[in-house]
Amino acid sequence: MILARYADGRAAIARDAQVELGPDALTIQVGEQNHVWTYADLRRADDGAGRIMLKRKPDTGERLMLEQSSDLESTAPDLFKPRAFGIEGRAVVGSLIASAWGIAAAFLVGIPLAAAPIAEVIPERQRNQIADISWSQVNAFTDYCDDSDEAARILNDVAYRMMENSNVARRDDIWITIVDAPFPNAFALPDYSIIVTDDLIEMAESPDEVTGVIAHEIAHIEHNHVMKNIIRNVGAGVFFDIVFGGAGAGQAIAIASVNLTGLRYSRDDETDADVRGFEYMDAAGIDTGGVARLFTRFTEMAEEQGGGDIPTLLSSHPASAERAATARARSRPGLAPSINEADWRVVRAACSDEPIPVPAPIEIPAQGQTPREGANPNAAPAPTSPTPPLEGGAGKPESPGPMPKPAHPKAVAPRIGGLPSLGRAS
Amino acid sequence: MTLEAAPTQAFAHSGKLGNVLGLAFKNAGLTLATLTLYRFWARTAMRRRLWSRVWVMGDPLEYTGSAWELFRGFLISLPCFFLPAIFIFYIAPLMMDPVTATWLAIGFYIIANPLIAAARYLMRRYQLSRTRWRGIRFGLAGSSARYAFASFGWTILQTLSLGWYTPAARMNRAKLMWDNARFGDQPFQFIDDGESPQQGMWWPFAMGWFGSILSLFVAYFIVFMIAFAAGLGEYISQGAESSEQAAMIFVGIGVASFVLGLLLMTLAWAPYNAAAMNRIASLIELDGARFKLKAKTFSLFGVTLAGWLITIFSLTLLAPVAGFLQVRYVINRLEVTGAPKFAEIGQSIVPEGTSGEGLGDAFDLDMGVGVV
Ligand SMILES: [Zn+2]
Repeated sequence: MILARYADGRAAIARDAQVELGPDALTIQVGEQNHVWTYADLRRADDGAGRIMLKRKPDTGERLMLEQSSDLESTAPDLFKPRAFGIEGRAVVGSLIASAWGIAAAFLVGIPLAAAPIAEVIPERQRNQIADISWSQVNAFTDYCDDSDEAARILNDVAYRMMENSNVARRDDIWITIVDAPFPNAFALPDYSIIVTDDLIEMAESPDEVTGVIAHEIAHIEHNHVMKNIIRNVGAGVFFDIVFGGAGAGQAIAIASVNLTGLRYSRDDETDADVRGFEYMDAAGIDTGGVARLFTRFTEMAEEQGGGDIPTLLSSHPASAERAATARARSRPGLAPSINEADWRVVRAACSDEPIPVPAPIEIPAQGQTPREGANPNAAPAPTSPTPPLEGGAGKPESPGPMPKPAHPKAVAPRIGGLPSLGRAS
Repeated sequence: MTLEAAPTQAFAHSGKLGNVLGLAFKNAGLTLATLTLYRFWARTAMRRRLWSRVWVMGDPLEYTGSAWELFRGFLISLPCFFLPAIFIFYIAPLMMDPVTATWLAIGFYIIANPLIAAARYLMRRYQLSRTRWRGIRFGLAGSSARYAFASFGWTILQTLSLGWYTPAARMNRAKLMWDNARFGDQPFQFIDDGESPQQGMWWPFAMGWFGSILSLFVAYFIVFMIAFAAGLGEYISQGAESSEQAAMIFVGIGVASFVLGLLLMTLAWAPYNAAAMNRIASLIELDGARFKLKAKTFSLFGVTLAGWLITIFSLTLLAPVAGFLQVRYVINRLEVTGAPKFAEIGQSIVPEGTSGEGLGDAFDLDMGVGVV
């Protein structure tokens, strides 16, 4: 016989009661009434720290409160196990851990897999919206060179020749722009623009090196790597935000993915672009030996620099001895250079170094032009650098392919503005 | 296991910091291990523990909610809240023109305000319906939409009045909430005692309002005085040795001033918060019984500060401990005059509801316990 208090679940009072413990059930005597509760149907309504409170399952609102526990514990030991308190078992915790990491894995594996088909169906308008963000970055970190039209035309001609020979479906939408930037790099944007920096051209020792880089970027566009990459990053960002429930971290990842510094392709995509780029070159009769030499030089540079975080072709396209070897293996020495000597001089002269007149940093007098009226008289007359014989586009050579129509107005006249260029490194 | 005896006061919280801390650590570990999926179980376990330590007239409260209910609520809020949010914050900025995307985000923030109020109401309804005393359920009647829109209106008034409508808004919200609260079939009432509901709150509020503006200036002044005493003046007159070092010093001064400013601001608002809590408690009535809370400025400041420090230094993982400190503070300072006729209070007729509190989870309203 145990003294207890009983609440009937119908009024907010507890009455004194006596409890008799049987083998399978307890009997509660309240006044004249008896209630029989089977142990198997009982749960704990307390937390195990003070007096015992029992309830029935399903809950009738009835409560039985006992001060003493040792007799009950020996008769109904199950009522003292965590389960009786509603504490989840190891199985629940285990399956929660398993499903959490399972979902995480599915997301991290599934998003990259789904990226390719999703990238295929993104409409042009949306692609151009994303490209706007990329372009604002390009404009912030680089300067447009107003003397590069002819050089860009030459590069576009070579590119078109390669794309026509390999039947690249997007060849009429791809447009190359040369920009003035303090780092050697080339990148493909979501609107099928390709940006080549003047520093890349400057460090190239032969036209085939630049052509090889362009071929690689075209392959990134042909195989939709740009959009795939963005979708992968947005997916990862969404995942992080849902998991960690915070606004910001994941969103930052997603936004960063459309930034230039975030333009990092997967290793597979890089290999894919390498191979496809070599195919273009083979088909157009261009030697891949130049690319091999460029990669070798990059590898040496990377070793010298010890891996700084300057945004170069090194960081977005990790150069490796392996890639150089692949290019060398396909090399067919003896082919004519992809750009003839005269054109190559024009390309080399694009955005070439000049002392930038301090008061007018945007208006750089074009190479070989007479200083414009009103331009800073202190600006030194164009020094060094050979004057291109084909000044102002006069007497341009026969172009091997039709001039492709620019896909986007921006591609012809990249927005000037944004931040002034970082000082030239060289 | 040592058994605790029932306290003799009408209201008492018998929770021990060590006991709560142990559970909080276990919850934090499992929450990390499950990439936060365990949070529903963690929250349920913590509430069960905290409720069971609240003693009312010799009997403890009981939390009957289950983690699966919370989990279900989360699954419901996933398509209703998370998917639109993902679209607005991830897809729209990339895919739509910037103006539309920005308007979408602004619209989201505007809608979020009443939505958060509704979520608060629904969360309170869920928690009350899962709270029992002597087997009798609490409840919250009324419409969450009505609360949301009213609350939104008061928020606008608060903004337009540069904060000065806040005491009235706080009492309006308390009234709407408590007038709809039930114990069993007995409604709580937020009574009109003949005085203004904000009575006694204006001076503390004015102190908080002006004090918090003053706090930042005072904080900067104090930090600069300390910095100069430590030789900042000489350092400047010598000419900074490296600009990086100088920048570090000034960032340090900025951070120190900001932290000190926040601290002073909390102190400045403590009298108002204590006054508001005491006033709200004094206007609550249940079947003739009246309540009295004795919150005091400095003790409340201490509890708030301790909660903050625990929350910040545990990266919010131990936030429930902060909630525990506040609940314990309130319960231990609560008194009742008069007794309801408990024998006549029957079981609740407000439906229990099954929605959980998915929306509250989405907005991260409840850092673990849902403080009064
Ligand atoms: Zn690449």
